[in-house]
Amino acid sequence: MNIFERVKQIVADILDIEEEEILSQTYLIRDLGAESIDLLELAVSLNAGFQIEIKDDDIFLRKLRRYLEEAKEKHLDQQAYLADQYPFLSASRIAEILRVLEGGPVLAIEDLVSYISYYQNK
Amino acid sequence: MKTRVVITSMGFVTSMGTTEHEIMNRFQTDTVGFRFEDDYQGVLVCPVPDFDVRQYTGRLKNRRYLNRGAGFCVSAAIMAAEEWKRSNRLLSHAGLFSGTGPNFDISEEFGEIIRGDRDHSSLQALWMLRFLPNTASSIISEILGIHGENATINTACSASLQAIGEAYRRIKDGYLETALAGGGDSRLSKGGILAYRKAKALLIGHGDPSTLYSTFDEKRDGFAPGEGGAYFVLEALSHAEKRNAPIIGEVCGFGCSLDGWSMTAPEPEGIWGEKAVLHALKEADLQPMDIDLVTSHGTGTLLNDQMEAALIHRIFSEKQPFVISLKSWIGHLAAACGAVETAITLLCMKNSFLPKIRNLKKPCAPDINLVLENHEEQTNLALIQSFGFGGQNSALVVRKWKK
Repeated sequence: MNIFERVKQIVADILDIEEEEILSQTYLIRDLGAESIDLLELAVSLNAGFQIEIKDDDIFLRKLRRYLEEAKEKHLDQQAYLADQYPFLSASRIAEILRVLEGGPVLAIEDLVSYISYYQNK
Repeated sequence: MKTRVVITSMGFVTSMGTTEHEIMNRFQTDTVGFRFEDDYQGVLVCPVPDFDVRQYTGRLKNRRYLNRGAGFCVSAAIMAAEEWKRSNRLLSHAGLFSGTGPNFDISEEFGEIIRGDRDHSSLQALWMLRFLPNTASSIISEILGIHGENATINTACSASLQAIGEAYRRIKDGYLETALAGGGDSRLSKGGILAYRKAKALLIGHGDPSTLYSTFDEKRDGFAPGEGGAYFVLEALSHAEKRNAPIIGEVCGFGCSLDGWSMTAPEPEGIWGEKAVLHALKEADLQPMDIDLVTSHGTGTLLNDQMEAALIHRIFSEKQPFVISLKSWIGHLAAACGAVETAITLLCMKNSFLPKIRNLKKPCAPDINLVLENHEEQTNLALIQSFGFGGQNSALVVRKWKK
């Protein structure tokens, strides 16, 4: 089973939803209504499921908005600053995140998959 | 004038079914769910087959925090609230009183501990919620939108009867107009069976499982654990009448006490249990001779049945009421027994039916009126008794509803 399939299974189990409702681009909080308690369980399950250390702040992009503020304060390029903080995200994904920021929490299933695949191969 | 408290709805999940029809049919056909399971080495148990809490809750992510007993609480509460939800908007003011038991399922929850440590990765982040006693109430309140006065009661096998008693008192005394009350429990897990096996309280045997468990028998030799749950909608009579709710019965009185005697054994004479019963009768403004039916705690342990028979004989010296033991049909439901047995007692009264005490051949107490055969019988006032580990006693008087 590939990483996406396994993540989908874990998320479906935790949120008590059908796997078919979960796509790579599905937003965890905006679309699926995940709450902080669910993310707590998700971190534990991902950790157990993939045998890698899950850093909650990173995988769930918890400090995203703070990083953007920091970049602004330091007069740095936001895109480059985020790429430093989140090395597991592709440049195109970061660009997309910056585009959809206004709509609410940006965390998507694909971000979890990117995190896991990046740190599994490291 | 005293506020009268009535039961307008009930929901129950038992090994004999979840509807009046199923339960009465099981009585008539003498069908019970006792069985042996490989994991329990000769311990007779009475499980609820194919129980799945999702059937009752639908999608619910917090389901992961329900232990099996708490799952019975939530399921029964949802069933009890069905009719209520449709017909009034006062749920947010309603109270919630739950009798729950401990989660003893330690081997499934934690796995094996090797050299003082174990693999923590399979534990949920909030695994503790599966052990907190109020998780059931918390989830019931979220699902049903109940926000009023509440309590979770953990007084061992007396807990759910006490929860009903507490709800009744809050309504009678004007703190609430309506409340949901009951309980659920299961000790059917390797850890649960281990706990009672070590305490030497369990019936161990072989042969036809339906013929082994008897209570109030000279040869009784321990209890058979069961599982399940029941909840009731309780309301002030005026509140029920205003919304034209169908009334099932009336809660007339409640009493509880502590033996202060032993951690597990009852005080042998039942002096303090008697105090609880007399208090319930007094609160109901009734004399012992008014009671038609006693739903005994009747566990089938040597000490309980002896104490309870003596207590019944003493209290009802003028006129011995019928005595039934529903545990001989469904097993001992631990914290849930009082609520589930209250539900079944109300069904029996409604159907003018008295179930026999199963497998009772040689009564240990010939001087009380133990029901030996199924038969039709009008009964109007019943006393339900629960006596738990730790010397927890409670007693509830209910009346079949008559306009």
